[in-house]
Amino acid sequence: MAAVFLYAAYTKLREPWLVFAMSIDAYQLLPEWAVLTLGRTIPWLELLLGLLLAAGFALRYTAAAAAILLGVFFGIMAHAYAQGLKIDCGCFGLGEPISARTLLRDGILLAACLTLVFLAMRPRDLARARHT
Amino acid sequence: MRNAILLLALLAATYALPAAQVKGRGAPGAPVQLDVYSDYQCPACKALYERTLVPLIADYVDKGKVYLIHHEFPLPMHQHAMEAACYACAASRVGKYEQAGDVLFRTQDSWAASGNVDQTVCSILTPAEAQKVRALAKDPAIIAEVQQDIQAGRNANVSSTPTLILTHRSKQYRVPGGASYDILRRFIDQLLSQ
Repeated sequence: MAAVFLYAAYTKLREPWLVFAMSIDAYQLLPEWAVLTLGRTIPWLELLLGLLLAAGFALRYTAAAAAILLGVFFGIMAHAYAQGLKIDCGCFGLGEPISARTLLRDGILLAACLTLVFLAMRPRDLARARHT
Repeated sequence: MRNAILLLALLAATYALPAAQVKGRGAPGAPVQLDVYSDYQCPACKALYERTLVPLIADYVDKGKVYLIHHEFPLPMHQHAMEAACYACAASRVGKYEQAGDVLFRTQDSWAASGNVDQTVCSILTPAEAQKVRALAKDPAIIAEVQQDIQAGRNANVSSTPTLILTHRSKQYRVPGGASYDILRRFIDQLLSQ
């Protein structure tokens, strides 16, 4: 999961931030100020989450934040797909249209992240007892 | 001798046909080039044309900052798109490419339902121009020109319309077709400032 977030951040940060802003704008959901704000901040948020996940730091909260972010992305993509918008996903740079395949992929990532949240949220005593 | 004459005749016939034209507007040496692949029957392309390309032409293309090149990319799902592309290319031979594109996009709802591409394009032509365009629209050279555009699009991994490819200092950026003009304008300004 850390690698996914780090790669997502890399594909966005290697291009001018306005390229990602335009892919957000293509969803036609947000006003310009929100598009510009998210265009600037989401790649860095993904980078931070990727680093925290890789380090295993505060895993409960980091995994939960990652799951929320993925859940929002997945919901917006599904909405755009249902609306018939022929736009790029924007998940890992441009050139990847939203399709059943990208929805399946992101759905699997979301499920994996939710599993990570579940595992991270388990009480430590219970986890220790199972290992003894 | 006979072969030489035949070769000369073939060359003469080739050069007699109007050469395929790059459908560009603005200064070819502009710092930014925008290649647009679109389909005249595509609603998203109509929206792009009206909300983005028209102001872009006024603010950037006609001021020498952006060189805009239009490529035909009619999609198979649109019944009259190929015919519309052929008519637009034919109109380019009489110097009316932009006018043809404009009327096709602005009245898309009408001719997409009726299939009356001919009447739509010829409405902005003189009778003499209309006669010439009607003939050219069925010319294999014009059809080949549209096919060349389609192939060029496929080579550039274009699979849907509209697709915009922005080039600045040899670096290409795919611009989402649904992006608003205000955001695109900011991006172009950022590139021009570099």
